[in-house]
Formats: sequence, C-alpha cells, structure tokens
Amino acid sequence: MTQGAVGQSFRFGNTELPREAQAAAHRARRLAWLTIGFLVTAVTLVYLVMGSSQAMKAAWAEDLLSFIPPIAFLVALRITGRVPSEKHPYGYHRSVGIGHLVAATALLTMGAFLVLDSVSGLLAGEHPPVGLVVVLGYEVWSGWLMVAVLAYTCVPAVLLGRAKMPLAEQLHDRVLYADADMNKADWMTGLGGIVGVLGIGVGLWWADSAAALFISASILHDGVRNLRVAVSALMDARATTVDGKDQHPLDETIDATLRALPWVAQAASRVRDEGHVFHVESFVVGRDGTPTQRQLQEAWDAVTGLDWKVEDLVVVPVDELPEELLPGVRGE
Amino acid sequence: MTTRRCATRSAAVLAVAATLAACGVTVPTDPDGTLDRVRGGELRVGVSPHEPWTGTLPDGTPTGLEVDLVADFAQTLDADVVWTVGGEEALVGDLDRGELDLVVGGLTASSPWTSKAAVTVAYVTVTDPDGEPEGHVMLAPTGENAFLVELERYLLDQEVQAP
Repeated sequence: MTQGAVGQSFRFGNTELPREAQAAAHRARRLAWLTIGFLVTAVTLVYLVMGSSQAMKAAWAEDLLSFIPPIAFLVALRITGRVPSEKHPYGYHRSVGIGHLVAATALLTMGAFLVLDSVSGLLAGEHPPVGLVVVLGYEVWSGWLMVAVLAYTCVPAVLLGRAKMPLAEQLHDRVLYADADMNKADWMTGLGGIVGVLGIGVGLWWADSAAALFISASILHDGVRNLRVAVSALMDARATTVDGKDQHPLDETIDATLRALPWVAQAASRVRDEGHVFHVESFVVGRDGTPTQRQLQEAWDAVTGLDWKVEDLVVVPVDELPEELLPGVRGE
Repeated sequence: MTTRRCATRSAAVLAVAATLAACGVTVPTDPDGTLDRVRGGELRVGVSPHEPWTGTLPDGTPTGLEVDLVADFAQTLDADVVWTVGGEEALVGDLDRGELDLVVGGLTASSPWTSKAAVTVAYVTVTDPDGEPEGHVMLAPTGENAFLVELERYLLDQEVQAP
C-alpha cells in the first residue's frame, strides 16, 4: 500500500473531487482494505472447520467470491484516476463497468455450479459426516465449531456493508454498491449455514444440502442481478441511480437548468454514465435563432457547475431537437 | 438494524438448539440410528487384512491391533461383534449400503474412500515410507454422526503404540 499516503487526493479522470467526495473515497478505500482483511480471516477459519459439510463449502465459496468486488473497486479507483490521454480521450471511467461485469460473471458462474452441486448432493442422498475435533485438548463436535465460525463471519460483513452503502451512493460507484449489498446480505449466508449444521446435529441429513442450496441460490441471484446492471451500464443505458433502479435525478436537472436560461426555447440531453462520472450531450434550440458564443459558454458553466459528476459536456445549438438522437423527446 | 436482526436470529437458532437438547435430542444424532441399534446389540465390522494392523488366524479368526481396539470398543457399548473378512472395496460397499457399521484394515487418513465412508480421527500417527507423518483411521457409515463421535471419543482415549 505505497499509495496509501494520507492526504493523497482522489480524482476521476479530469474531475478533481470536492472535499466531501474526497473524504468518502478515502473512507471507501480503507473499508475495502478492511473487507479484504476480514475476508482473509473468514476464508481461513471456514476452511479449517468446513469438513465435509456442503453448506460450509458453499459459504466458503461465497467468502472467496467476496474478494472480487473490493479488489475490483481498489483497482478501478486507481485506474479511473488517470487523466484522459490522446489514446483514451474519454478517460478510464469504464474500468468500473468492467470490474462490475467481471465480478457479476464470477458470481453467476460460481452460483450456478454450487446450485448444481447441492442439488446433486440432495438427489444422491449424501449424508455428511461430522465428527470430533480436538481443540486445545478438548474434544468438541466439529458442528459447534462450524456454527461459531459462521456466526463470526455474519457480524463484520454486515457492519462493513452498512458502512459502505452510503459511500457507494455518494461516489456513484456500482462496484462498491454491489460489494456493500453482498456484505449486507451476508448474515443470511451465515444463518443458512448455521441452520444446516444444526440440522445435521439433530439427525436431518438433508438439512446440509438444503442449506447449501439456499446459499448457492443467493449467490446465483446476486450474479444475475449484478450482471443485468453491469451490462446495461456498459450498453450506454441512460444514467441511473447507483442501484440501477431509477433514472438518475441529474438527468432531469440538466435539462431543467438549460430550459431555465432566458435564451433557451427547448433543451434535451443524452446522459451517459461512464462509471462515477457522466458524459453529457445537450441539444438546445435558441429563442432568437443561433445563440451567441457567450450564451453557449453560460449554458456550459451552468450545467458543469451542477455536480462534480458532470465531467464532460457538449452543448449543441440546433434549429429543432433531433428526434432520432433523443428517442424520448417526441412524447414530450 | 440488520446486524441486530442477525444477532437476534442467531440467538433464536441457539435457543431452538438448546430446547431440542433439553427435550432429549442429543447432538449429533444418527439419521439412521446406528448407535442406538449397536448399543446392547450387534456391531457389524468388516476386516480387510493388512498386517500388522489387521489379519486372520489360520482358522479365520480376525486378529491384530485394530481388531483388538474394535473388540474393546464393542465392549464399552455392550455389543457383540460380528466380523466379516473381505477385500477393502467390497467391505466399503457393504458399509455404504448399511450392511456394516465399521471397517478396519490399516487405513490411513489419505484413504480414497471419503465419498463412501466417514473417516475417523487418527488414533495413532506413524511415519510413512516417504518420511511423512501418516494417521491411522477407521471407516464408519457416512452421516451417522452420533456413532462416529462415540467411536472417535473412544479412539482418542486410547494410548496406542504403533506396531
């Protein structure tokens, strides 16, 4: 972590982040490292006690997969900091999208594999053997150790997820959002595993495979959901909020800001989410023909001043709004 | 809120476990009741000859260190031992089908039978021909965890000298 010097300033391409966003980026990076540290302990402990339990195996796979989002976030944070170059005139913001797509694909693949694995375990009627271990001279049923480890993995993950969620929204970072979302849901994995192991304990052999199926299904579900958001972002879908659910409010604000200018008769924009920042093309129709250079500059300043997320703006004066470039404009 | 929910639910699960334990359900329990059946009844043991751990006398009676261990274990359960002598694969097949309760044959912790049988803790560790430590184990039916734990507890209590 040679880059970890305090006071290092974060930037997304040409965008120098404002003070609060700087603080958020610092905090997010610290939390990503903390997550990696926690995952190292979780993966080690689960591996040590997992024995032949399917549910423990699924929980272990989930912990392993949980490494991808924080690593993708840290890598993307470094790469998006690069200033656009001659070869990459749009900057490096898409690295967030690529990181997100990779993470989603890994979740999807692993989830599908584990679902098949636990279903075949159920169908084959596999009875998981769970015997004794000697810990510090005491003979303990391994099931109790599994329960203890699963209970441990449950708590920090949820705390980390809750801490990261507002930062993901503030930084408009989808990878961080996916990471926080998975962490927040981690208690279900822990609890599912605990139920499975206790099920073995009371003599229900199928409880283990059933718990494994539940955990794998949740991994698969995460994969599908993230893949949809990642793909739609890379397909230049209109900018949405970080959870991919709603249209991003800046979209409306930009048009409203332009329309509020006294010389503007009509205005509409295409907003593309590059990951962290938006690239905007705004079409404006002047009230009295072609706007002056000063008016255009005024429009440019008004929109780029709205939010640091508006990194790149092109204002195009037109006679009428081009419907073929602005599919939504006809209905208005 | 989520953390608290997690903690509450874990607590609820533990409470359920405690209730079950109080109601006389021991943890772990055998899905197929092996330990209950063996206690005061018959312990069906497969022996695959592997000197000096297991072997047979000229009259067919099983002998060896593991045979002695098993006979002693059966005594703690007040069970009579029914011996079946055979090849390892056939015996593991019988164990998997529920026709045997235990298989011995100088097996080690690196046994390839883990998908068909539950491998016990090592009751003695010796040095293999490559100079690596090698634990000697027995095979129990998969998932019969009360029986497995009973056997392992017995094995861990023994002070076995490698032959």
